Amino acid sequence: MSASRLVACIPYLVWLVVAAVLWFLTTQISFDARPGQIAPSFWPRVAIGLMGLSALIEIGRQLFSAAPGKEIAGIGEALEGGEDDEDDAPRQSHLLLIGVALTVAFAVLVSTFGFVLSTFLYLVAFMYAGGYRNHVMIWSASLLGTLLFAFVFLKVVYVSLPRGTAPFDSVTQFVLNLFGGFA
Amino acid sequence: MLELAANLGSGFVNCFEPLNLLALVLGIIVGLLVGVLPGLTLVMGVILVLPFTYKMDVTASIVLLTAMYVSGTYGGAFTSILFRIPGEPIHVPLLWDGYAMARAGQPSKALGWTLVAALVGGVLSWFIMVLLTKPVAAIALKFSTPEYFAIVMFGLASVIALGRGGLANAFISLSLGLLIASVGTDAIYGSYRFTLGLPLLADGIEFLVVMVGAYGVGEVLSRLERGFASKQVETKAGANTELPSLAEINSVKGMLIRSSLLGNIIGIVPGAGATIASFVSYGVESQFGRRKEQMGSGIAEGIVAPQSAATASVGGALIPLLALGLPGSGATAVILGAFMLHGVQPGPQVLITSADMVYTIFASLLLGVFLMCLLGYFAIKPLVRILDFPEAVVSAFVMILCFVGAMSIRGNLADLWLMIGFGFIGYLFERFRFPIAPLVLGVILGPIAEESFMNAMISFGNDWTVFFTRPIAGTIMAITMITLLLPVIASLREKRAARSAQRG
Repeated sequence: MSASRLVACIPYLVWLVVAAVLWFLTTQISFDARPGQIAPSFWPRVAIGLMGLSALIEIGRQLFSAAPGKEIAGIGEALEGGEDDEDDAPRQSHLLLIGVALTVAFAVLVSTFGFVLSTFLYLVAFMYAGGYRNHVMIWSASLLGTLLFAFVFLKVVYVSLPRGTAPFDSVTQFVLNLFGGFA
Repeated sequence: MLELAANLGSGFVNCFEPLNLLALVLGIIVGLLVGVLPGLTLVMGVILVLPFTYKMDVTASIVLLTAMYVSGTYGGAFTSILFRIPGEPIHVPLLWDGYAMARAGQPSKALGWTLVAALVGGVLSWFIMVLLTKPVAAIALKFSTPEYFAIVMFGLASVIALGRGGLANAFISLSLGLLIASVGTDAIYGSYRFTLGLPLLADGIEFLVVMVGAYGVGEVLSRLERGFASKQVETKAGANTELPSLAEINSVKGMLIRSSLLGNIIGIVPGAGATIASFVSYGVESQFGRRKEQMGSGIAEGIVAPQSAATASVGGALIPLLALGLPGSGATAVILGAFMLHGVQPGPQVLITSADMVYTIFASLLLGVFLMCLLGYFAIKPLVRILDFPEAVVSAFVMILCFVGAMSIRGNLADLWLMIGFGFIGYLFERFRFPIAPLVLGVILGPIAEESFMNAMISFGNDWTVFFTRPIAGTIMAITMITLLLPVIASLREKRAARSAQRG
């Protein structure tokens, strides 16, 4: 059996493990059984069964099919399959890691720094991470964009967004004062 | 009919209220821009605008999102024809004849044909939507839980059968969506499922959090990994529109109507949106059209067929959303989300309880189609200038809108973390070729499917045969099974054709 076939099975083995864990979790669902009524674990178990069965079929196909690369695909595949993906540039894992790190950092810091400061920093950092190098454009677009977001979401639409903790909340307050609001 | 005309008249008047009119104009402009930008899909665009609608009136919100939806099916045509950059997958077929016509020295004519196609497709599907929505809702009022369950099953089956990627992957994606939807408090027993002891999960996972993450963050991360390597724009020559003459339009009128009807019907089918409509319509014209041999060489039919079908699919997709409360595509799922955020549940009752709103939405769609064509005629040059914006800049703003969208749905940071998690799942799905649409439709339709199933089981004494023995439910279940078999049949036919080609 070729190594490539085994490698192709890995994602489906992961799905099988996920299905097994989720099935176990359905056994932990507590409820007062009513006679003649289906349990609340029934529906999730149907979905888990579908997941496990699909993963098993795919593992079997990858291991034993004469042409494992030729799967039965949705009609959309046949319709659109003739056209190559527009985006065929090579993948650069470090860019993905930077993007994920920045996104996680935003989520970690937004309650401390506040939405305004976090947004500004994120915009600047993300544009650099995306390979853009026009410094004037990056800093000015980030500043104007932050002010626009703050105006729309903190003054006009009043979305509940974190204002930050001291001393960073003063940045949010300063921006709100710019718009004439004293929240 | 008189009642319909009166309601529509009132709807048109409501459209001219300042807020509704502003929402309509903004929706059309933003939809065109989203259509033009290759890194921003139509569904993503509609999702990103959602936070702006939280404090708006429900009618204005839906007018804004519907306007975006319809104009998003048109905006990408400009860049497909002028620069060979399809802003949306919908416009890939326009590369074949639209761009070919432009290269043959007639870009303005190609843009003119696109405008005519969008206009006719939009107007025709609008009439069908207005005429069909009420009768469909009236039929739906007679449905019981087995029929609803069967319809939802059909929606889920068609998103699997009509999607991209392998069937096994699509089923796994769907099952994950169904499981995400089952997180929280069970509606029948009130017991907690998969909450892991977290209070937030007891309220379930909002499908908008899943959509924003999987479509928005996942897509941006995928493109960032490739360094935002979009094709470069080479020229902007010929960015104006030359309308075809009446005689020219007359020569393709049959095909124009046929493609529009086809697009409308495809739009009604859950899971098959504007992209499928566009490809199918082009395919039909290539197989059966009067000038099928010339398709791909830059003829009007190759432009009109996909564009009219794509725009016509919008009116079709709104019928099941408004009449049954079932979204058939990503964009209509977001529109459903906007309805629900404002406490309105679309479905058969909405035409009775909120007729004013529904007819204003109807009227706005027609006005939107005309406005979209007017802007397309006069404002192509400024619209395509958005391509000059670096993708890194646009994507940074998209990410912030995703964050705002997640944080504002329930006003807590836990949704932000969930959204980032679903963003990463969206990225992994793209990386390993698992389709996202079944996941999202599973999250949206899962609760409806489970509730219908459980209620049917309670009402019919756990007799599961009711889904097959009741006439309407049974018919829909049969269609569902046929739908699921379609990819298998297509695969067998392909294999047979390959074998005969080898022999021959």
